[in-house]
Amino acid sequence: MADRTLGAPPPDSALSQALKQWLFSFQEFWLLTAQAFRNIAATPFYAADTFLQMDSIGVGSLPIVVLTGFFTGAVMALQLSATLTEYGQIDRLGQLVSLSLVLELGPVLSALMIGARNASGMASELGSMVVTEQIDAMRALGTDPVKKLVTPRLIATIVMTFFLTLIADMCGIVGGWVYAVMGIHMNGALYWFSAFRILDASSMIQGLIKPLIFGGIIATVGCYYGMKARGGTQGVGRATTQAVVLASLLIIISDFLLSRLLVGILGT
Amino acid sequence: MPSAGGAATPPGDVVVRLEHVVLSFGGGPVLDDVSLQVRRGETKVLLGESGAGKSVLMKLVLGLLRPDRGRVWVFDQEVSAMKEQALYDLRRKIGMTFQESALFDSLSVRDNVAYRLEEDGVLTPEVMDERVRTCLSFVNLDAVMDKMPAELSGGMRHRVSIARALATSPEIMLYDSPTGGLDPETATTIMDLIIKLRDCNHVTALLATHRLQDGYLLATHAWDDATQTARWAAEGARHTSFLLLRQGRAIFDGSAAELRRDPDPYVREFLS
Repeated sequence: MADRTLGAPPPDSALSQALKQWLFSFQEFWLLTAQAFRNIAATPFYAADTFLQMDSIGVGSLPIVVLTGFFTGAVMALQLSATLTEYGQIDRLGQLVSLSLVLELGPVLSALMIGARNASGMASELGSMVVTEQIDAMRALGTDPVKKLVTPRLIATIVMTFFLTLIADMCGIVGGWVYAVMGIHMNGALYWFSAFRILDASSMIQGLIKPLIFGGIIATVGCYYGMKARGGTQGVGRATTQAVVLASLLIIISDFLLSRLLVGILGT
Repeated sequence: MPSAGGAATPPGDVVVRLEHVVLSFGGGPVLDDVSLQVRRGETKVLLGESGAGKSVLMKLVLGLLRPDRGRVWVFDQEVSAMKEQALYDLRRKIGMTFQESALFDSLSVRDNVAYRLEEDGVLTPEVMDERVRTCLSFVNLDAVMDKMPAELSGGMRHRVSIARALATSPEIMLYDSPTGGLDPETATTIMDLIIKLRDCNHVTALLATHRLQDGYLLATHAWDDATQTARWAAEGARHTSFLLLRQGRAIFDGSAAELRRDPDPYVREFLS
């Protein structure tokens, strides 16, 4: 065993340093998240900044969410119709499309698209402000940057992800209907009847709780990586990539955990 | 080293005080046992090469960074021990200009200068516009009110950042390399403004620079209202002192005359 001077700590191994760094980042992330949520109830309330972000996130993400929802519904109808026809269950096409969209595909795909667009936008915008000392200037002028920049983005992303998911679900069901009517000449009324009959309160609640959580993930991850960006434009680029990767991973992982939890609470 | 961070001055007269401050960023110390004090109305010029720790020292005074050891006092409040929320109130009495101006690039010049006033929400838009115009005319930039920062030259951005810092009439100004990267003529314009602010508004200031001539200009010139220019005045009359940093350590603290006489080899080399 190597000799050690009494009282002198052993040198950190690379693994130990990496673990410490990870724990430190984890703590920083939760501190920022807690502060951003706490600020929702604190004055001053930056209403104008919040509405500006709602416009940027909501209206800005609308085309990609509409297209994603529509074509997801259409491709589901295309893939499922052959199998359902084989088993003589084509009248159930609407319910399969609508249930898959409302429970899983609508919230997850919308969140992934909103996250790709907005987590990257937040990380790069805030990261640029950090490296050009605008965040320091804001603090120097007596403004809390978390309250001014992070909390409005958090509120806006949660609210807009919720509404955008509703729109994506609806567009997806419409996409499935368009394929059902034009592709396999199915009776449109039958499709709609089947699609809405299956949607009960439990599935609606599951489908509407998820976007609230996903919105929180997108905003906190995007803002966290932006606020901790270091090292000029290269650092901003790195922060942007990390934000999109982590937000996407967390959306998919939390979708499984939430589904398990909600199925346990609300039943299938 | 004359008068380095001594405690002979009554505390009430000293508005900024650093006591044995140490700060590291992972590697070696960026500031190593630095002490200094700035009296009301005094301008302290922080000299040193790039990376000597000047900007870090300014950020410590404003509470943007916290020391690993030592204490920082501003207006008899211990900045190094205050919570971030409490610091926001204190920072309203302090104006800072940053090395790269740090103007908010998504806001117009008018909105940049009015930023603090709009945050306070006390003034009417008309009064606010008047205040912005006054601040911009102090830095001779009345005409750029509606422009965006990206449309301005480097010198103009520095002047707008001075106007922004002035909007709330701060008692202390911190200038971080205000003439860095500017041509000599623009640099002189900026220094004239700093002299004007010191002599007309009696603002206490810390100025970080690696340009010795900027420090000497402050120590030897005074604002002349009649000609609206900075003119040579008797040395020592301008309440300007110098602190020379070398790799995070303060190796000189004193007046311009003492700086010129200091026998330290590094000081001699820096002056040459």
